[in-house]
Amino acid sequence: MMSSPVVRLTLRGVLARKFRILLTILAVVSGVAFVSGAFILTDSVKGAINNLFEELRGDVDLEIRSTIAFGDAARAQRDPVPVSIIEDIEGIDGVRLVEANIIRESTIIKENGDPLQTSGPAFGISWNGPDGLDGRTLLEGAIPAKAGEVAIDKASAEWAGFVIGDTVTIVGPTGKDDFVLVGLTGTGSTSGGGGASVSAFDPVTANEFLGADNKADSIYVGVTPEASRDDVQRAIADVLADAYEVIPGEQSAKETAGAINEIIDIFGKVLLGFAAISLFVSAFLIFNTFAIIVSQRLRELALLRAVGASTRQIHQMIVGEGLVVGIIATVLGLLGGLGVAKGITALFNAAGAAFPAADLLISSRTIMLSVFIGIGVTVAAAIVPALRAGRIPPVAAMRPELGFSALQRSKRLVVGMVTLFAGIALFSVGLFVQPGGTAGTLGGSAVGAVLLFLGVASLSTTVAAPVSRAISRILPFPLRPMTRSVPGRLASRNAQRTPRRTASTASALMVGLALVSTVSVVAASVKKSFTDQLQASVTADFFVTNMSFQGLPVAFAERLAELPELGSVSPFRATQALINDEEKQIGAVKPEMGDLVDIDIQKGSIDSLDEGAILLYTDPARDLNVDVGDPVDITWQNGTKSTLKVGAIYGDSSVAGNWLISLDTLAAVSSATPVDFFIGADIAEGVPIEDARAAVDTVAADFPSAEVQDQAEFQKSQEDQLNQLLAIVYGLLIFAIFIAVLGIANTMALSVFERTREFGLLRAVGMSRRHLKRSVRWEAIIVSVFGATLGIVVGIPLGVSVSLALPNSFVTSTVIPFNTIVNILIASVVVGIFAAIFPARRAAKLDVLDAIATN
Amino acid sequence: MTQVSTSAAAGAINASKIYGKDDSEVRALDDVTVDFALGQFTAIMGPSGSGKSTLMHCLAGLDSLTSGRVIIGDTDLAQLDDKKLTSLRREKVGFIFQAYNLIPTLTALENITLPLDLGGIKPDQEWLDTVIDKMNLRNRLSHRPSELSGGQQQRVAVARALASRPQIIFADEPTGNLDSKTGAEILAFMKHAVTDLGQTIVMVTHDPVAAGYADRVIFLADGKVVDEVENPTAEIVLDRMKRLGS
Repeated sequence: MMSSPVVRLTLRGVLARKFRILLTILAVVSGVAFVSGAFILTDSVKGAINNLFEELRGDVDLEIRSTIAFGDAARAQRDPVPVSIIEDIEGIDGVRLVEANIIRESTIIKENGDPLQTSGPAFGISWNGPDGLDGRTLLEGAIPAKAGEVAIDKASAEWAGFVIGDTVTIVGPTGKDDFVLVGLTGTGSTSGGGGASVSAFDPVTANEFLGADNKADSIYVGVTPEASRDDVQRAIADVLADAYEVIPGEQSAKETAGAINEIIDIFGKVLLGFAAISLFVSAFLIFNTFAIIVSQRLRELALLRAVGASTRQIHQMIVGEGLVVGIIATVLGLLGGLGVAKGITALFNAAGAAFPAADLLISSRTIMLSVFIGIGVTVAAAIVPALRAGRIPPVAAMRPELGFSALQRSKRLVVGMVTLFAGIALFSVGLFVQPGGTAGTLGGSAVGAVLLFLGVASLSTTVAAPVSRAISRILPFPLRPMTRSVPGRLASRNAQRTPRRTASTASALMVGLALVSTVSVVAASVKKSFTDQLQASVTADFFVTNMSFQGLPVAFAERLAELPELGSVSPFRATQALINDEEKQIGAVKPEMGDLVDIDIQKGSIDSLDEGAILLYTDPARDLNVDVGDPVDITWQNGTKSTLKVGAIYGDSSVAGNWLISLDTLAAVSSATPVDFFIGADIAEGVPIEDARAAVDTVAADFPSAEVQDQAEFQKSQEDQLNQLLAIVYGLLIFAIFIAVLGIANTMALSVFERTREFGLLRAVGMSRRHLKRSVRWEAIIVSVFGATLGIVVGIPLGVSVSLALPNSFVTSTVIPFNTIVNILIASVVVGIFAAIFPARRAAKLDVLDAIATN
Repeated sequence: MTQVSTSAAAGAINASKIYGKDDSEVRALDDVTVDFALGQFTAIMGPSGSGKSTLMHCLAGLDSLTSGRVIIGDTDLAQLDDKKLTSLRREKVGFIFQAYNLIPTLTALENITLPLDLGGIKPDQEWLDTVIDKMNLRNRLSHRPSELSGGQQQRVAVARALASRPQIIFADEPTGNLDSKTGAEILAFMKHAVTDLGQTIVMVTHDPVAAGYADRVIFLADGKVVDEVENPTAEIVLDRMKRLGS
């Protein structure tokens, strides 16, 4: 039996208000589901990726590769390892097998001539069959053994409709060729390559077709069972030149998996960010529900006080109700999290990702965090209503009016102001002191934004009444103002009657819509800046980009340069280097790039590139305090050091980045396989655009993963990418807005419940059900338009600040998208109507006599 | 039934309660000195705004005086903070209200023992049984308030007030929401509590019939005690009220 009366009262209180609490639970559930779903998904995918790379590692005990001077082990561009060292290694005691590891981009062409696209990369490898060291398995057919034979992964074969014996066209770094499909491969437990499409060739064919030129990415070593791996590793290290290192196979697998896991972590963090927003909005809903329930139970709570309940017991009771709601919601939310994780995985797989079959992992951290967040948020949101409930004087059991004045007491204005200004200060410091800065300052901005929202929410109580009045005066703008009808007037007065409730209900919506406004301002600014930049500084007629993220084979640019229809052609390559002890991305181009992009040379000449000079954007030039002709010391990733002269200083880094060298300079210091990120080209004089395009397209036909675009197409594709990103962001924010709508529905339902007697009276004196419904609906619309107005008022300045804080290379002009604002306002009216459906129906259903009899 | 104890259960000395300030000042209580003997049933009467409710709220420690003292047993309420006042209400004071009297989510028995439970005090089972039987609630104990009639609800409320065997019970218009027959029944129960169980009750009412059940009636007007009657009947009370009103 429950011994404590507080526990009993708490549980009974929750049970008695099941329906009133239901929506609250729903809000917390969705927040917790979001959080736990993000964790479950990232844990599961990371687990699967780790497994995949462990499986791919197969029997590779040791791996030999080039060393790097700095940077991330997995993402570094390493110099290749000459295949010739295999002979030296094979002689070492304990070495069982040595293989060259060659992986190059190579694309399978489907029978209709289109490239096969999976969600992962497309590559060709050198393969010794299942008896070799790597973890690939042969599922069907035979091992490719000679020129003209290939094995591809089974998932890709099925996707493209190939069977053994078919002729498959594959485009590799050296060009296009036809192969007979002799085998289908798999990877450990899966039939695919973890989303990649893989073509496997015998080592000789691979070396030729993949253009390896007897240089491997790394060398795999298998150790005999009797030998000690550590001894073999030491023995190999002894014969290796300084530029190479030998590492355990699992280390390499871990590094590669780790690099992918980092991306998944970022994805997870983004999800968590949106989950946090949803939970923040839920907190408003919870707070509001509890505040309303407390005021509805005023007499009951006062009675408890009168018969001897202490203030503490009242606090415990209300917070306890929050605890019960939190526990229920967290349990449901964890289950929901499984659904969220499954849903997102299914979504990805439907889009063509052969996600390695992953069991959903619920780690104890996921559970602990979900419990902490779900219960924590609910209880935290119930604290203020609980404190308020504790202030109800016992005498209110007999004179409720005394109790209400206790509920109203508050130092809100001061607290709100302080919170708001602290928020603005933190936000600005985080944003401007270190633009796009470290995680710490970004976190500061986020905390600042939270404080800012809380401050506005608390201050909005002060303006709720007048703004509601103003909204109801202008709202049904083309029609008769709502204040001219009785239901409209009632709605307007009701919204003004409890400004605190109106304000906190509206605030939940404010948060979601403020973020939408912020994002829309930033997006519009980025779009405008990008378009301006493209028009002002980019004069290239064609852009070639790569649909996958692997970059373009250098042959493409070389062949384009030979076309008589084209004038200037320049690829853009990138490499990492250490300058002044900081890792920088260096661009490598041809001097012709000057004809394609106006980088605003302020001093020196772009032609100095050909003399081995380095070009600097004004900012780094200022930071390093160098001028044209001064030397700059650079350490390349493979450890080569060089000193380059500053050839020019330029003022536009939007396309070129901060540092530029020539392709030859890059080739001289790095033997890593070069790839181009994009290629710019313009049309030779007098050549019609159609002819030039046709010529470019002919070359492009041999490079299936390349995409050729003219300026308009390029601009559009960039905008499409941005819009896609925006759609995802809006999609995730809709979640928060949905919770806010729940909040409005909940508040309206509670208000209707509270005004049962009043509604009965109105019906008794002749108000029709339709009028009553309309009155409730109008009130919901006033609340949501109020929330939208707050959201816009807060969100636009936030967006403008973010735009201003973004670096100039990204955003040059700030734009306020007025059509988005109008859309938000229109949407908020719809939201109000939607939220009022259930409460309005309930109000209309009330029986007149029953309603009046209700005390 | 005429035995009047000489020791006081509670009392007010020079009690004043002022609401508002300056021009809008209202003296709800104006230098009231009164005491309530142990084992007596006292009714406080007076027209609306006479200060009778305020007097009771202050006596019960629900509200504080502007000046003067309130004493329950041998405790001066002015000396107590909220925590001690709360436990005083729990242990020494019982309440019977006009309506909204019970916690709707608790059963009749749970409502009765609520003040004891809140204080973590084990009920005196024998006393509890006596009270329950006196109030004729034995077979209603597991019902929720919504399943009880108005009279039954008020009986549960009386039982709750008695459960902790308090020093004094305050009743605020206990029959205000009941029909006359049920009201009479409740008053009879309260009378029993005083005569048979030796309890002390102070009741605020404006119903002369209700006041007729009391051992003593105190009349208030404009915040002052203006009259007093021992062993009243409804007729005498009505008569005095008429005189006060004129």
